[in-house]
Order: sequence, then C-alpha cells, then structure tokens
Amino acid sequence: MARVSGMTWLFVRLKLSLVRGGLRGEVGKQVGFAFSLGAALLAAVAGFGLLSLIRFAPPDVALDLVSAAFAMFAVGWIVVPLMAFGLDETLDPARLALFPLTTRQLATGMLAASATGPWPIASLVALSGGVVALAHGPGAVLLGVPAVVLQFAFCLTASRLVTTALSGVLRTRRGRDLLAVAAVFGVLLFQVPNLLINRGFSGDPTRILASAGDVLRWTPPGLAAHAIADGGLIGVAELIVVAMAVVVLGWLWIAALRHALVRPDASSQGGGSVRRSGRVPFGRFLPDGMLGAVVAKELKYAAREPRGRVNWIAALFVSVVIMFSMRGPDGSAGPGIVVGPACLAAVVIGLQAANSFGIDGRSLWMNAVVFSTPRDLRTDLAGRHLAMAVIGVPLLTVVSVIAALVAGDAAWALAAAPVAWGVLGVAMGVGALTSVTAPYTYPDRLNAFSGAAPGQGGQAFASSFATMLVTGALALPVALPVLFGLTWWAVLAVPYGVAAAWAGRRIAAGIGFARLPELLTAVSRPT
Amino acid sequence: MVDAVRTQGLYKRFGQQVAVGGVDLVVPRGSFAGLVGPNGAGKTTTLSMVTGLLRPDGGRIEIDGHDVWADPVSVKAHIGVLPEGLRLFERLSGRELLMYGGQLRGIPLDEVGRRADELLKVMDLAEAQDKLVVDYSTGMRKKIGLAAALLHNPRVLFLDEPFEGVDPVSANTLIEVLRRYTASGSTVVFSSHVMDLVERLCDWVSVMNRGLVVAQGPLDDVRRGRTLNEAFLDLVGVRGNGEEGLSWLGSPA
Repeated sequence: MARVSGMTWLFVRLKLSLVRGGLRGEVGKQVGFAFSLGAALLAAVAGFGLLSLIRFAPPDVALDLVSAAFAMFAVGWIVVPLMAFGLDETLDPARLALFPLTTRQLATGMLAASATGPWPIASLVALSGGVVALAHGPGAVLLGVPAVVLQFAFCLTASRLVTTALSGVLRTRRGRDLLAVAAVFGVLLFQVPNLLINRGFSGDPTRILASAGDVLRWTPPGLAAHAIADGGLIGVAELIVVAMAVVVLGWLWIAALRHALVRPDASSQGGGSVRRSGRVPFGRFLPDGMLGAVVAKELKYAAREPRGRVNWIAALFVSVVIMFSMRGPDGSAGPGIVVGPACLAAVVIGLQAANSFGIDGRSLWMNAVVFSTPRDLRTDLAGRHLAMAVIGVPLLTVVSVIAALVAGDAAWALAAAPVAWGVLGVAMGVGALTSVTAPYTYPDRLNAFSGAAPGQGGQAFASSFATMLVTGALALPVALPVLFGLTWWAVLAVPYGVAAAWAGRRIAAGIGFARLPELLTAVSRPT
Repeated sequence: MVDAVRTQGLYKRFGQQVAVGGVDLVVPRGSFAGLVGPNGAGKTTTLSMVTGLLRPDGGRIEIDGHDVWADPVSVKAHIGVLPEGLRLFERLSGRELLMYGGQLRGIPLDEVGRRADELLKVMDLAEAQDKLVVDYSTGMRKKIGLAAALLHNPRVLFLDEPFEGVDPVSANTLIEVLRRYTASGSTVVFSSHVMDLVERLCDWVSVMNRGLVVAQGPLDDVRRGRTLNEAFLDLVGVRGNGEEGLSWLGSPA
C-alpha cells in the first residue's frame, strides 16, 4: 500500500512538472500558459458564481438546472480529452507500459494525475457551486461536500475509461479520421437544443428543462444533485449509488487499462484496403479520360477524406437547420417557404466549390504537371462540378421534397427542386472563379473548424463570403419570380444554372491556367 | 543533337533571398544525370522551375528544344516528375493513383490498367496496391511516385531526392528501373546528397552551390581523378576541417 501511495505521489509530481513545463520556453508559450491559467481561474470563479446564483431560482427549477450542469460537466470531461488527445502525455497508458508498475499503481496514479492541474481544480471549484445552489440546512451541506467530490470522481473515471478504451483507436490514422467526423457531429448535435429553443418548439424553456431534468434524474450527476437538495437519508442512499457507479467505472477502467497495456500497438500497421477503382458506385457510368478520372477522384475524396466528409455533413446539417427555421410560427403559406430553404441549401452546398483546389492541397502538382492548355483546367473544373452535382442534386431533391411535405403541399417540390439545382449551378460557376482568384490552403489537421492555413484566414472568409453574395445576386433572376409564386418560371432555372456554371468554368480556366504555379503555391502552404 | 534539358540564366528570388541566380543547366539526351549540391544550393527550386511548377523570375528553359513556359503542350506530355516531399493524393490507393494519373494524361483505360499492373509488380507494390497512399511507408511512397512519373513513358524524368529515406531494398528496385529506362535512350535528371550513389549511377554531373552551377559535364571531367566527394568538397569550398573543438569526444587513450 505504501508503494501505491508513493507511486501516486510520483504521478502527481510528474503532472505538476508537466504543468510547470509550460512556463519554460519561448515567450509565446509562456503567454499561452498564463492565458490558460487565467482562463481556468476565470472558469472556476464564473462556474462557481453561476451555479451559486441558481439558489435564487424556485427549488424544482434549481434542481433541474444543477442536474443539467453536472451532466454537462461529465460530458465535457469525456469529450474534451478525446478532441485534444496527445495534449497531455500522462494520459496515454502505452507510454507507461515499459515501467515496472502494477495495474493498481497505474490506475490510482493516473487518476491522481488527472485530478491535478489548473483545469481539474477549476472544475472542482465550479462544481462546489452546486452546494450553494441547492443546500438548505446543515444536513444538505454535510451531504453536499461528498456529493461534489463523488461527482468530480465520476467525471474523472468516466473520462479515463473512455480515453483508455479508445486510446488504441486514437493512435491509428483511421481512428483519428473517424473522430474528426464524430467531433463535427458532436458539435452539430450541441446546436440542436439551441435550435429547438430558438424555434420555440414547445414554447416554454422551463418545460424543456423539466423534461431534461426527468431524463437526468436517475443518472449519477442527477443523483448527486438530488442528494444535495434532499439532505436526508434518501440523499445518503443516492450518494451510495453514485459511489457505486464510480467504483464500477473505475473497475472497468482498470480492465481496459490492463487490456491496453498488453495489446500490441497497431498504429503503425496502417489501414485496410479499399475496393478496386472502376467498382466505385458510379464507376461504370463515368466517361473514360480526364473528366471521368477527376469525377472518380472527387467522389472518392468526398467519401474518404475526413475534411470532405465533414464538408458534406455540415452542408446537410445546415440545410436541415434552414428548413426548420424558415417555417414561420404564423404558418405563412406559399411556395416561398419551400423554394427559399431549398435555394439556401443549394448555396451552402455550392460554397464547397468556392475553393475547389484546396482539398487537393499539396498534391495538386500532379494535375499541374499534366495541364498544358486552359482546356485541361476546364475539364478538371467540370469534373469537380459533376462530382458535386452527383451528390448535391439528389440531396437538394430530398430537401425540396421534405420542405414541401412539411409545408403541406408536395407539388411545390416540383418548383423548388429545379430552382435549387439551378442555384447550385450558379454557385459552382461563381466558385470556379473564386477558386482560381482567391485559392487558399485547407489545414491538414484533425481540427475541422479552422478554415485555412495561418495567415490565410481572412482570404478564406472573403472568398466564401464573395461566393455567397455573388451567387445570391446572380440567382435572383430565376429564384425571385418563383419565390413570389410564378412557379412555371422554375423551368428556366436549370438551363440558367448550367449556363452559369459553364461560363464560370470557361472564364476561370483562362485565369487559372495563366497563374497555375501561383495557384499551386497558394493551396500548398504549410499548416 | 538537341539537349534534353538546357536552361539559360535561370533566375528566382524569394523576397530578399536569391534562390537561383542565373543557372545554365545542360543535360545531354540519354544521360543519367545527377544534380548535386549542399542544402540550400537551389536544386529543388531549379527542378521546380524546369518542370513548370514554379514560375521563374527570368531566364529560359528548353526541354528537347521546346520552351517549357511558352510551349507547355509540347513539353508536359513528355516529362515525368517526382517532386520533393512525396506529396501525393493521399486518399487514393496506390493503384487508383496510377489509374488517375494515366487517365489524366489521356491514356486509354485498359492500357493504363495494363501498365499499372506491370509497374506495381516491378516496384514490388502488388500486395499494397489497394491500400491508401496515406498508409504507405516512405519507400513505398517513393516507388509509387516513380511509377506514376513513368506511367506515360516520358522522354525526360525529373526526380528530386528520389533515394532520401528509402531502404536499401527499395532503393535497389528504383535503381534497376531507372537503369533500364536510361538504357533505352531516355533521360533521367535527379538531385541527391549522396555522392557515392551519384558516382555509381550517373554519367553526367551538375554541381550547384549558392544558386549557381559551379561545375558541369561528364562524370570523369568533373571529378578529374579524384572521388566525386573530394571534387565536390573542393568545388563548394569547405571551411574548417573538423579538428578544432570537441576534444572531449571519443574514448580516452
């Protein structure tokens, strides 16, 4: 036992020296460290203050709010280390596999280490605000302290369990690819309650809160919050349940840890194979030659490259959001409420074409050494547009049909879908121009949210924004009459869009070919 | 006879720094040419400009008598390139990469498939052909890069550091393929740090230093009885002989 506690102390000191390590080195790093320390302090004070303020709410609302807050802490503890994997060297059990340690020593040591540091302390301080918010009477305060500690322990063990169980996966390229997509899903899902509240779905936030409280009631965070509010024997029983949950998680974690330590590190063995080309879903319909090659490559990239997948998922999600938020509460009728969302979805999808060459990045030279006339570049752009249409057109059709069904008249989809296709064509034409005039590098990292390489952020923003504005302006002649009820006008939309995309490609190919080396440099910046 | 590669006064600067300051590079047709020089000598910049990937600030480049920048149609179909840094389409499999490159160059699909199969076999990549390039090792990436550069049977092949970080087995494969290729009268230009390798493979050497070609010609003319390494160190002017300092280093006598 003495060895265990000695080893635990060693882990804590290891973590402390890692934290202190942030103070050495360049000024930038030190400023970053000071900033992060300040942020942790601020988070601790603000978290504690906000939770304490809940005391002034009615008791049942307060209980629900604290339950929700406790649950969010637990989710945060699970999700954040996953996103920032590799940030903290003590987290990866594989690094400790060579040392002569028992699983028990390792488990207590790593748990103690993860409780050390500015951010864990900050969350402990913030969590104790829950006692202020809920405790009425000395018994409640007495229960409150172990409740907060247990909730903290629950966060820690849950977080450890998930990171350890996934650490093997996270070290492979495939796992990180998957996580990049999962992370986007996570962030988008966080927007759902926001959206529902904004839409006034139930019209009453307190009712949403109450139903959330009901769901969380029997989870460990909910039990801990309830125990503080109860302050009696029931509270004690609830804390015992939470403690048991922590023990079970801890036990599972030790099992996962033991497994992770003896399992071979598969990270260097690479991913699996892919199906032969020519057997991709659309393979046999593609024309031979440059156009077909580009379309096939683009479709593969949309499916295999995490950034490609992220773009499409984001576009899909934004379309859904638009669809729901456009429906006014007054139930205003007319084709506009179907055509509008469909067109906006088309613009969002088309924005991906605003930096067509960015996704190729440093590999664009393979095209550049082949292209010897503007016509080649035009074919390349056409291939990219065709691939985007292959995915985008069915998607827009679905969006139009759903929007029409929601609006109550399926026939409106017949007007909305062609207009949306046309707008997509306009967006692609405009995007071809921005792709060659304002190209920028997509970052190579897991992080799917920073838009461009260092120093190109402003350009990335400007090019998307310009594409959006110009597309909007150019789409007006076809979209506006339909929006105002002149539905037969929709038959003009597709030819108009195709013409716009063609013209965009034609002009862009001339400009782009003349500055091919510059284009190459712009999308191959180090990130 | 027209030279495979001929540049005149090739010039490129990045900001204040002159990377290439008037290079006259000559490579006769059918030669296995080595471009050697210390780090920062301008080898990569020169090769990028010669292959049409970087715009020169001045000078002329001719490949087989055609101006690279004025007449890309006559040039690009007949050159193969393996740039530094192994930048390939990471999310395609090795086989898909070759198919893409071949189709991009307008070679009929079944012909591309046939050539890709043979190249993959010669490069010993047949087993890994359906894995994504992102999962390839350095040696495998160099080999698939070379395969992609050879697929359209170019007349001149430009390779930037093709042997860097490649294991001896893969290096041997690369060398065998390149020897066969030059034996038929095609030209290879490659940059390298490894003098022994250049000495063993090349019949033509161009030595670059600080953005200029300081020596150029058939291998024996450049080394003049010395080893290429000695000739190279003389040409680039080595300062210090490594005998001062470090008195503590090594076992005590």
